[in-house]
Amino acid sequence: MKIDIRNVTHNYDVEVLHDLTFKLEEYKSVAIIGISGSGKSTLLRLMSGLETPTKGDIYIDEQHVLEPDYKKHIGFIFQHHNLFPHLSLEENITLVLEKTRGIDPATAKETAYKYLSLLHLEDQVYKKPKNVSGGQAQRASIARALSVDPSTIFMDEPTASLDPILTFEVLSAVQELRGLGKNFVFVTHVLSFVRDFADYVIFMHDGKITEHGTPDILDHPKNQAFKDFMMKVK
Amino acid sequence: MTNQPHIPKKSINVPNIVSYSLVFVSIILFIWFVATRRTSDFKLYLITDNYGELIWNGFVNTIWISIVALLGSVIIGFIFYLFSITKDKYVGAYLRAFTSVFTEIIYGTPLLVMVVISAFVIGPAFGIFSRNITGLLGLIIYISPYMKNVFQAAFSSVGNDQYMAMDLFGFTPYQRYRYIIIPQVIRILMPPMMNNFSLIIKGSALLYVLSFNELYYSIVIAQSKTFAFVEGYLLMWGLYLLITIPLSQLTKLLERKWSL
Repeated sequence: MKIDIRNVTHNYDVEVLHDLTFKLEEYKSVAIIGISGSGKSTLLRLMSGLETPTKGDIYIDEQHVLEPDYKKHIGFIFQHHNLFPHLSLEENITLVLEKTRGIDPATAKETAYKYLSLLHLEDQVYKKPKNVSGGQAQRASIARALSVDPSTIFMDEPTASLDPILTFEVLSAVQELRGLGKNFVFVTHVLSFVRDFADYVIFMHDGKITEHGTPDILDHPKNQAFKDFMMKVK
Repeated sequence: MTNQPHIPKKSINVPNIVSYSLVFVSIILFIWFVATRRTSDFKLYLITDNYGELIWNGFVNTIWISIVALLGSVIIGFIFYLFSITKDKYVGAYLRAFTSVFTEIIYGTPLLVMVVISAFVIGPAFGIFSRNITGLLGLIIYISPYMKNVFQAAFSSVGNDQYMAMDLFGFTPYQRYRYIIIPQVIRILMPPMMNNFSLIIKGSALLYVLSFNELYYSIVIAQSKTFAFVEGYLLMWGLYLLITIPLSQLTKLLERKWSL
């Protein structure tokens, strides 16, 4: 995966990112870490094209993220599963496939079952989101994101609303997806997941990327902010 | 691929049935008590013999103008709702301000005043002299802000996260409403909308000031010809209940059927 961030500035009421430039190639699983308010979720949303930066440009795999076509090639997992509550887990996937990708109902059903099984939900396909656990719903939303065959999947603290057991359940399901050959960019507070799953780590502080490298950097933080962060999360 | 959701069997609620039966009995006893102690004769036939057809027409008119007013206020209320959510910087700001000011004015306006003003002041100003039409328009306009609120409450139940998901997967605006938003909000929408329908039915009685032949007006005519005032009001009461009670029961049924 190629990430190319050029002079990105982003404001909400205050400036969250300031003139950020960053380039990365040849890594398949990138973790973004940092304290709350460091701008990591904002960066993730900008990289996925969900939000438009105030200034600057972002290219993922040489495609500008604001091109209309870009969103067809990505998946996004939110903190809270955002399944459509009136549809079963299966229908959540088939609706997307049939209506937005023009896939015929039989194939859509097959695809839905394939991805739901991949995330160990084969017994839950007919249940509505409120009738399954938070971890199962989050896994279903991962299955839904995968079903459109994206090349890159963004995850914004996918386990933030789950208890430790469900967190483990979701994260181990994600780890099994390594073989699918997808690119992952994710924000998380679970450092063990970063160590196991990421092959590159970006540390953000005050809207800047202050340290980055392979997961070894977690053991040898250089600047003070990163040291403090590692002290607190350990 | 099994594990169908477990649906609990509906059991018959005995205490509920008993209490409802007791309430009905009490009401009948009360009516019986009042009827036996009346101080003058009760001559319903004075009205029904000669004015049955007039009242029947009024009854039918009340139902259909209520339905027209319901449809009209749903459409205008939805337009107001769209005004209230427009994001456009200049035109949108005007529309939002307009909706909010208009809503405030309507909330403080008695329906009777609204009906009279639209029939005698606003309608003629636009060259519409048919009071039936202007009166009905007044009723529609009056209910619209209430409908707007119903839409606002219902649509806000679809969270921002869902809109992001729709955006990501690239659903078209039509698909969003057809497959995702409407199926979710319809359950929330129906009960308050039916309440407003009740409001419309009762409000339509005020069209009598325009000599519009709805239920209230037709009975007032019959009363003035027969002097059977009490009988007229009792008949009117019964006929309104005949419309509103089945309606509220239907609402409750839909609420149960569609509750998430």
